[in-house]
Amino acid sequence: MTTVDSAVRAPQQPRLPFRMERAELLKLRKSRGVWIPTAFLTVGAMAIMFTAIELFHLSNSAKYGPAGGTDNFQRALFLMGQVAGMIAAALVGAAAGTQDLSSNVFRDLVSTGRSRTRLFLARIPGGLGLLLPLVAAAYALAAILSVVLAGGLPTPSVSLFIKAGLYVLFSASIVYVIALGLGSLVGSRAATISILIAYLLPVQAILRNITVLGRARDGLLSIAVERISPLPPPDPHDVVSMSRATSLIVLALWVAIFGGLGLWRTRTRDA
Amino acid sequence: MNKQSEYVIETEGLKKSFGDQVAVDGVDLRVPRGSAFGYLGPNGAGKTTLIRMLLGLTQPSAGTMRVLGRPMPKERSRALARVGAIVEEPGFHKHLSGRENLWAAAAAREPAAHLRIDSVLERVGLTGRADDRVGTYSQGMRQRLGIARCLLSDPEVLILDEPTNGLDPGGIQEFRALVRSWIAEGRTLILSSHLLDEVEKICDHVAIVDRGRIVAQGSMSELSAGDDGAITIGCDDPSKALGAIDANGSLSDVEEIANGLRVLLRPEASLEKVAAELNRQLVGAGISVYRLEPSHVSLEHRFLEITRRLGGDS
Repeated sequence: MTTVDSAVRAPQQPRLPFRMERAELLKLRKSRGVWIPTAFLTVGAMAIMFTAIELFHLSNSAKYGPAGGTDNFQRALFLMGQVAGMIAAALVGAAAGTQDLSSNVFRDLVSTGRSRTRLFLARIPGGLGLLLPLVAAAYALAAILSVVLAGGLPTPSVSLFIKAGLYVLFSASIVYVIALGLGSLVGSRAATISILIAYLLPVQAILRNITVLGRARDGLLSIAVERISPLPPPDPHDVVSMSRATSLIVLALWVAIFGGLGLWRTRTRDA
Repeated sequence: MNKQSEYVIETEGLKKSFGDQVAVDGVDLRVPRGSAFGYLGPNGAGKTTLIRMLLGLTQPSAGTMRVLGRPMPKERSRALARVGAIVEEPGFHKHLSGRENLWAAAAAREPAAHLRIDSVLERVGLTGRADDRVGTYSQGMRQRLGIARCLLSDPEVLILDEPTNGLDPGGIQEFRALVRSWIAEGRTLILSSHLLDEVEKICDHVAIVDRGRIVAQGSMSELSAGDDGAITIGCDDPSKALGAIDANGSLSDVEEIANGLRVLLRPEASLEKVAAELNRQLVGAGISVYRLEPSHVSLEHRFLEITRRLGGDS
């Protein structure tokens, strides 16, 4: 072509690193249906938990202890690492895996010639860019309140704070990638969230209590995540014993299977 | 640098089946560089499926294709870097503004695409609404935003699939003006449409497709004229006139129109001689003739003739 309109010709190449990842983050960050529930399930959950315990303590300090201290930090860690934080990760992952499809933008992205693998991979840091700051903020809030509201109770050590922080970020990232893969595979945000919440809450709890399953329960996500926690759950149930190395292998398999399925579907889907 | 070929799109034996259903059946297509190419066919003829294959949205069942001289899908990324397309209705993230949608789309293009955002918004007349959420846009505005997104890559080839669907008459006029400006810039336009009038007004080359097959292909003048001619007859009694000239061996088709007849001539017939003969026949039959107007066969007539004939064959 020889007579291209100068109005649409760019004068110079801008330097915009991680453009695709930033685009994914923009789509999620601007969606109130994604960030509000995610903020509620992370920062909100911590705020509610510590506020409730502190109010009980203030209303009857003889019966209820202070909201801070190691025990309550342990509860906060469980809530963040294995319940609310996982659901938040599932919400963000499901949205990241399906938003281009549900808005019919996927075919426009594919028609740019950009590799489908690249389109899928950009969603990983893009979604984590929204999820992890909220998880980190929730964790920071929990850590601060467990010290500030400790009263006379013992508080976690610096080493435990660091390990616990890495644990909540890691567990949220694992569930995010699983949700992203499942969302990309299924193509429906509602279906992905329903499947994951059903699995993370009732189904998994039922399966882990079916003792006849024996070692097969090692494959459950919650057991593998629990095993890498620096603190045991506040109310331990029938825990299946598993080495930390085995739990890491189980988590890697979850990520590989669902991430792989999501990537495969993104590469092969008719856009 | 890839050597510039004469054609921006070339396909050979391109086929796409969905189970037993053949949507595209051995299409050999050549789109000349710098042309405004109409891909014309009735609904369900396989137009969108062909475009989807060209854009790598779906895989062909058989055949080969080259886009801007590069084999697809082998060099898909490089081939499509200078192609802009709207397939069916353009999709957007409704919770983002027009500008943010373009920003996200530019991220999948070359880095310079980000610097074109303001200029393409201005070009499609959306600068004033660029920071509003797309969810608040009318369909015409979304269509224009889709065009802006196409232009982000400064495309050599623009592929538009039924682009005026849902546009009001004003929007259609604006769209035509925009398209003409692209063609004037030397870009190649591929316009897929079932609207014959649309193709006739914009395009200089055309392929007519029916049931997955290209049934005619060439420049607009070749296809709209061919060897055939037509004569429009204005008379006082069209029904009687129809009977009077029915046996004329120089005619391939006669149809009654408002206040007269329209006749199609056989390829070997001379337009002037047949016009004089028809006049004699009609006057001889006592019919008042007040107009005899030789004309070229319109693309529409040609299109209907071809598809009707094929329909009759099946």
